Amino acid sequence: MVILEARGIRKHFGGVVALSDGNLRCRQGRITGLLGANGSGKSTMSKIIAGVYRPDGGEIWYKGRPVHYRNPSEAKRDGIALVFQNLSLVPDLTVWQNVVLGMEKSRGIFLDNQEAKQIARDILSKLLPGLDITRKVYELSPGEMQIVEIAKAIAERPQLLILDEPTAALEHAQVKSLFAYMRALAQSGVAIVFTSHRLWEVMEICNDVTIFRNGATVAYIDFDQEEKDPETIISHITGETVRSSPAERTFGEKPASREVLLRAHIRSKVKSLRDVSLELARGEILGIGGLAGQGQNELLYALAGSFPGVQCEVEIEGRKIVLRRPQDAIQNGILLVPGDRQKEGLFLEHSVYSNMVFPKFGLSRHPVIIPEKKYRGECEDIVRLLSIKVSSLDAPVSTLSGGNQQKVVVGKWLSFDVKVFLLADPAKGVDIGAKRDLYEYIRRLARERGIGVILYASDHEELAQYADRVLVMYEGGIVAALTGEDISEETITATSVRAR
Amino acid sequence: MDAARKGIVVLPFEVLKRALLQPEASSLLMFFVLFGITAILQENFFEAKSIVRTINSFAPLILLAMGQAIVIISGGIDLSSGAALSLLTCVLTTVMKKDDPITGVYALILAFLVALGTGVVNGLGIGYLRIPPVIVTFATSYAWLGIALFLRPTPGGESVPWFRVFYNMRVVEGVPEVLKSLGNYVPPALLLIVGACVLWYIVSRTRTGRYIYAVGSNIESAYVSGINTGKTQMLACVLNAVLIFLAALFFVGQNQTGDARMGGPLTLRSIAAVVVGGIALSGGRGSVYLAIVGALILGFVGRIIFFANVPNAYQTLVSGIIVIAAIAGPAYATLRRELR
Repeated sequence: MVILEARGIRKHFGGVVALSDGNLRCRQGRITGLLGANGSGKSTMSKIIAGVYRPDGGEIWYKGRPVHYRNPSEAKRDGIALVFQNLSLVPDLTVWQNVVLGMEKSRGIFLDNQEAKQIARDILSKLLPGLDITRKVYELSPGEMQIVEIAKAIAERPQLLILDEPTAALEHAQVKSLFAYMRALAQSGVAIVFTSHRLWEVMEICNDVTIFRNGATVAYIDFDQEEKDPETIISHITGETVRSSPAERTFGEKPASREVLLRAHIRSKVKSLRDVSLELARGEILGIGGLAGQGQNELLYALAGSFPGVQCEVEIEGRKIVLRRPQDAIQNGILLVPGDRQKEGLFLEHSVYSNMVFPKFGLSRHPVIIPEKKYRGECEDIVRLLSIKVSSLDAPVSTLSGGNQQKVVVGKWLSFDVKVFLLADPAKGVDIGAKRDLYEYIRRLARERGIGVILYASDHEELAQYADRVLVMYEGGIVAALTGEDISEETITATSVRAR
Repeated sequence: MDAARKGIVVLPFEVLKRALLQPEASSLLMFFVLFGITAILQENFFEAKSIVRTINSFAPLILLAMGQAIVIISGGIDLSSGAALSLLTCVLTTVMKKDDPITGVYALILAFLVALGTGVVNGLGIGYLRIPPVIVTFATSYAWLGIALFLRPTPGGESVPWFRVFYNMRVVEGVPEVLKSLGNYVPPALLLIVGACVLWYIVSRTRTGRYIYAVGSNIESAYVSGINTGKTQMLACVLNAVLIFLAALFFVGQNQTGDARMGGPLTLRSIAAVVVGGIALSGGRGSVYLAIVGALILGFVGRIIFFANVPNAYQTLVSGIIVIAAIAGPAYATLRRELR
């Protein structure tokens, strides 16, 4: 029996269209997989169904009647539960208190703690045997938190359970017991929506899959009727067969030499990043691809000396150094342009000028009195060079558009002796024109000044256009290296999802 | 063999170290140390009379600190609690007429309603209008002070004689002998504190108590879990107001007067007591009962200064240093835990 049907769902955030035509059908007792590349709209779809976002258009039918949820509580009351990614746990309460949070039962005037503990124990004994339910949540590992989160959703006895990438933080054994529990839930009549970036998981657990690409539903495959063919699914995700005009690859000139600029060996003690070695040539743009959150940011932070728990040995221009602090990297010309410019790259309320001069203060030989005039001159040069649109150097950075903000982040390093630029998704939230300007500039910089660039972009099209070489990351490790003709948006995405 | 022996040696040390890193443990340790020093310095410390006097002098701060702890655990802070205490003493002594015992009852009822009102106003600002608690309660502290000064520009006012039951039962006529002799051993101040503890004990075992911790720990998570966060913060403020009301009863019972400025210094002392008690200012963490321990620590510091014959000129400095040490212990432990 169809329990939920969503048709023609549309949703945009600001000027960005997240969903243009989202369709989804869930049946009682069946597990439906949601698949798609980064930004294909699958997460937006789950959140709309669970009432987190309100759709701009389209209709949702739940148990035979149209529904318009305004918030998650309303959806919850109707039996729709979305498992947040560690969003709804209270760190200072115990595991069992969290499992029943918001739906505690009383006996007399006091809370019925015995029953609550029993509920938590019943669910968790199957999901994660051996977890002490009296521990505080802040003491748990990310994987354990995720499981408590799932247990919390299950304790509400939902009829439709939406799991949004629940396995990302889990270990293999934990995934196995989660799957066993999901099957039992489905058998008891619960409809389950499951999203995951691991293709094999979807193949193993789901009864049918719905595939999203660029905000629209592009395929629906029922495994009861059609065979489980990973290649078909991948082609739907990447859109190889239907794509008419592949993004034009603009090589520019090739890097002049193959002289190795940087050799890095990373020994990692953390889970999100494995041991990684890489080489970077002078003037080369090295792309880092893969699905979101596979350790790309961690890799860049490690190379910038600001990721604790990771030992990064670097050989730059033949000199060996160990990166312990961000200063070590900066003084050796390895500069990071962080991904979240609002949080990490800029002082938003400060002026363009002060944002650009702050990094200079970290230099070991900085004059005691700030040479104001000289710095202002340098800033004006950079503003002109990058064509940053700004009313004056003293305008707060927060008044600039996203693209121009990003230029400031890049620009503030230009007066340094840059050897390696680490760019973490620099074009995120930047409009197309500014994006092209930025990349063209970076490439010119690389070719003319012989700077090595390591570029992580969540949009594989950008990598395909600008990178000379692409490393694909999966679960903290490098799983593939693509060069020359192999580099295209399709191959990068296909390699990303095929990895296991 | 070697490793096993090492394990035995290391283990108790590790356990001790970990125990000491609990903010609660370092507060309790501090308490016992200061308690011991006070007991040594003050000769008649363990005499019944002396114990009663100790409890009486600490009672208002203890009650205010418990209320403050509830608000802080819920993710707020109350900078108006001292002013609210002053206001309540002024209300009580303005309504009461010395010769008319029944006015005492009216005063009790009216002051209780005023107390609830102060809690509701703070709760509305913090919980529903979502104004930062520091701003809300800083503003209301001036409102309470203003009203108190309007009622009682200078300290004074009248109190019915039976109001002394909140301070000392023996001196009140008409109190049964049983209660009087009980009052010899159990001073009313202690009863008020026990009452406050019972109140919190009950609340902490209801939804409200659980939600106060949840909201203070992570308000977003609490909200998406379907908790009414505004109502929860409102209830925390009202509970605080009830405890301030109890403190006002004790103060008027003791002094028979109202004073618009008596409570002011107690506000920051109550916050200090909460911190010394190992309760996280960020909310969600710590026990309300430990606020009592925190208040006692601050009280003992004053005692020690007094009995150790510290020269007048240095008293404030020395007590400041001890308070810093007392805050540093739990604060360090909390920091360690948060950094982990």
